[in-house]
Amino acid sequence: MTRTALASILAATLVASFPALASPRHDDRGQQPALDRSKVPPPGPAPQLRVPAWTKATLTNGAELIVSEKHDLPLVAFSITFQGGADQVEPADKRGVAAVTAAMMLEGTKTRDGEALSNALQLLGTSVQTGIGGESGTIRFTSTAAKFEPTLAILADILENPTFPAAALERQRGQRLVALQQARNQGPAILNRVFPRVLYGTAHPFGQATDEQTIKAITREDLVALHSSYFTPSHALVTVVGDVSAAAAKAAVQRALTSWAAPEQAEHAAHETFKYPALPQAKETTIYLVDRPGAAQSSVAIGLPGPPRDTADYYPLAVMNMMLGGHIQSRLSANIREEKGYSYGVRSSFDFGHGPGAFRAGGEIVGEKTDLALIEFVKELKGIEGSKPITDEELAMTKDALSQRLLGTFGSVAGTENAITTIWLQGLPEDYYQQYAKRIAAITREDVLRVAKQYVDLNHLAIVVVGDRKSIEDGLKATGIAPIVVLDATGAPAGSL
Amino acid sequence: MSRTILRGGIALTLALSSAALPSARQKSDPLRIPFEVYSLPNGLTSILSLDRSTPTVTVSMWYHVGSKNELPGRTGFAHLFEHVMFTGSGHAAYGIHDKLTNGVGGSNNGTTDNDRTQYYESVPSNYLESSLWLEADRLGFLLDTLDSAKLNAQRDIVKNERRQGVDNVPYGRARELLSEALYPKGHPYSWDVIGSMADLSAASEEDVKNFFRQYYTPNNAYLAIVGDFDPAQARTWIRKYFGDLPRGKAIARPSIPPVTLDAERRVVYEDRVQVPRLYLLWPTVGVKHGDETALGILGSILSGPRTARLTRALVYDQQAAAQVSARQDSNEDVGEFGVTITPRPGHTLTELEGAADGIVEKLKTEGPTREELQKATASEELAFLTAIQSNLGKAGRLSSGAGYHGDPGYFKKDYQQTLAVTAADVTRVANTYLTKNRVVLSIVPTGKPEMAAKPSTTTK
Repeated sequence: MTRTALASILAATLVASFPALASPRHDDRGQQPALDRSKVPPPGPAPQLRVPAWTKATLTNGAELIVSEKHDLPLVAFSITFQGGADQVEPADKRGVAAVTAAMMLEGTKTRDGEALSNALQLLGTSVQTGIGGESGTIRFTSTAAKFEPTLAILADILENPTFPAAALERQRGQRLVALQQARNQGPAILNRVFPRVLYGTAHPFGQATDEQTIKAITREDLVALHSSYFTPSHALVTVVGDVSAAAAKAAVQRALTSWAAPEQAEHAAHETFKYPALPQAKETTIYLVDRPGAAQSSVAIGLPGPPRDTADYYPLAVMNMMLGGHIQSRLSANIREEKGYSYGVRSSFDFGHGPGAFRAGGEIVGEKTDLALIEFVKELKGIEGSKPITDEELAMTKDALSQRLLGTFGSVAGTENAITTIWLQGLPEDYYQQYAKRIAAITREDVLRVAKQYVDLNHLAIVVVGDRKSIEDGLKATGIAPIVVLDATGAPAGSL
Repeated sequence: MSRTILRGGIALTLALSSAALPSARQKSDPLRIPFEVYSLPNGLTSILSLDRSTPTVTVSMWYHVGSKNELPGRTGFAHLFEHVMFTGSGHAAYGIHDKLTNGVGGSNNGTTDNDRTQYYESVPSNYLESSLWLEADRLGFLLDTLDSAKLNAQRDIVKNERRQGVDNVPYGRARELLSEALYPKGHPYSWDVIGSMADLSAASEEDVKNFFRQYYTPNNAYLAIVGDFDPAQARTWIRKYFGDLPRGKAIARPSIPPVTLDAERRVVYEDRVQVPRLYLLWPTVGVKHGDETALGILGSILSGPRTARLTRALVYDQQAAAQVSARQDSNEDVGEFGVTITPRPGHTLTELEGAADGIVEKLKTEGPTREELQKATASEELAFLTAIQSNLGKAGRLSSGAGYHGDPGYFKKDYQQTLAVTAADVTRVANTYLTKNRVVLSIVPTGKPEMAAKPSTTTK
């Protein structure tokens, strides 16, 4: 059963062309006429999206505060989000220092060592999470409403007074080295290192990786310096979502963060002046093969650098990607997973942010089908650029799939917090969620074709395959899709190290 | 619920979640899921729970069948069957299911474990009727459109799932090696849910038909509807779509007693790993046994936060391990208590086994402190409240309560039992179950069997 036939089957079902039951059944009490099960029950009237209200304020230290009340369960989600992240603040030879700094904040403060912190949080039944990702960082917790203020007091201590004990750094370093060693035997982990390096090169932060060398280069002084320049109120958003009044939340935050101030020297945080370097010259489409002897599956990624989140083409790109590889009946998955059975899951995505995040299609492919799957990937990429027409039904379903996903977004305190924080991090309009469905509805077939051609340049794709070279290289060559370059597990030319 | 396998390969980050009906909230008792339950004459149990916090609804079908019901030579079949349930049925052509869920901004999935198989649709609230229609159609008419092409396509996908989750992953075979070692040959829990490649290859259309007729019957199913809907309308639709499906034969449920080992079993497995890993596994009890909650608390006292005993000693003080976990996994009839330790360079599995044994022995002798017990239970309220923010989280609790304990409201009892666990309970279960009769599995890099843990020469 092919994907295109699928669309016509749906149309057929919608007009109830399936044969009625041979022997009509009656319900258990015989009170109803025989049920015609061949009719798909139509949806009721569409429900309205309910976006919760939130209030904004600026704290005396300059941080922004957003509170959204949600009283259905006695829960509170608290977060401080920082604009800017590891890709913008880390030196190339110390990749990983931001993540280590964030983790090390939980290793002790001026008044509580790591055990005391852990004990205090356990007795409150909660935990504080810290982290710095590529373009943003966070310190956050979810607690019961009754434990909100005491947990916030501990979070403030972790934020302001970490001591970065040297012994703890060595322990953290040792654990990370073991994790890096284990990753050497994981196809997806190798792919996640090699694919960005091929796209961006090692001179671009997106192409760099945390490895044994960079982890070994990190010093305690690095952590202290990064903490004092990064965890400042000037580029921070504080959010409180849950079972607390806006006034009480604001008062509690002011109280807890009273000593959290901007550093005296008004140094600009590194991310504010940061500009991503130019991308390397795009290369002709190439297959980059990384040998993983004996691998039962090949880890595959196909893509290229993409546009930032503020592109004017965000909405058509969202529709295009959803149609191509955003869900289980999208083109890639319907073909390569459902019909051909080459994979347990394939997908595509744009990594939208402030920088040129990647477009990427791929998945874990059964080893002996690597070449056949690659042919299908390329076929579907060509298809979305025009060779496989977009039907009205496909376009309508894709748009529904995107816009109606929002209906459930505001059910949890953490989901609501994340939705609010996303608006702030990505610089989106305040009524982003209210307008979203309208924006998506406006996208046409021509928009989808245009952005597919513009952003998925078939002549300049990087195709990275991590698999058993011995058994897959000849097949890949025979596809004629592109020349093959062999790389090692770090993404360097094989044999060069 | 351990060893759950998902159908979905695509992890959409859908936040289809919600919380209790505001008017139903009782500040004094936040641990509350309002529900009503009733049965149709054909034996279908229906559970309805309102939650109007978002305009979405989840339909869950929970079947009391899992990998333990598989026949010899057909391991992995319950899960393969779960995949077949997504390939269309008598009146719902292949593809419609995803279109009426993913295609309208919702989601669907199925999960299989040793004891039960659960399917769900989470959709905008106006798609409740079509979700019920989908579930009723595959319960009533799956076999009408079954053919070998459908079975073969799903067989390939499931084999890929096995490759992705077991064969192509470092330590991926640990689960099945442990089950094989812990249970007698042929015991219903002695194989892993994913099954073997050979057995997956052997599964036939006839197997699908027999399994379906035996286990996919209204009297073996629990339907839960959770979210924003009109209960009267829902009851009408349930009767309309499920009411005339015939009751199946009564399900024979042979009693499966918990197992015991009469000696320690040591297993060494060479794998493509960089770092060796040690697994200790003890047979314990399942979800219906009174000791289950205390075993859960024992796990929290041994691992997790940095002050937990194994974590503090091995990861923090001695820094001999990169990672430690200790936990109770509870199935319907049996349970397992497992400890997993990944060493840091320069430390051997033998050394870590000895160290872990010493810590467990100390706990068995002195018992946990009052503060340890307090810390282990303090997070229960938050964990419960966080989980029931989603329709699906509620549906899972209500259904498993009904299926295993005959009471959708069992979550409350479970919660109270957990809070009531005493230090003496923890000491007792540690002494009862963490004995020298256990499985010790060493997974070591290929060609380095000498890295396996060696039996201790000192007394345990």
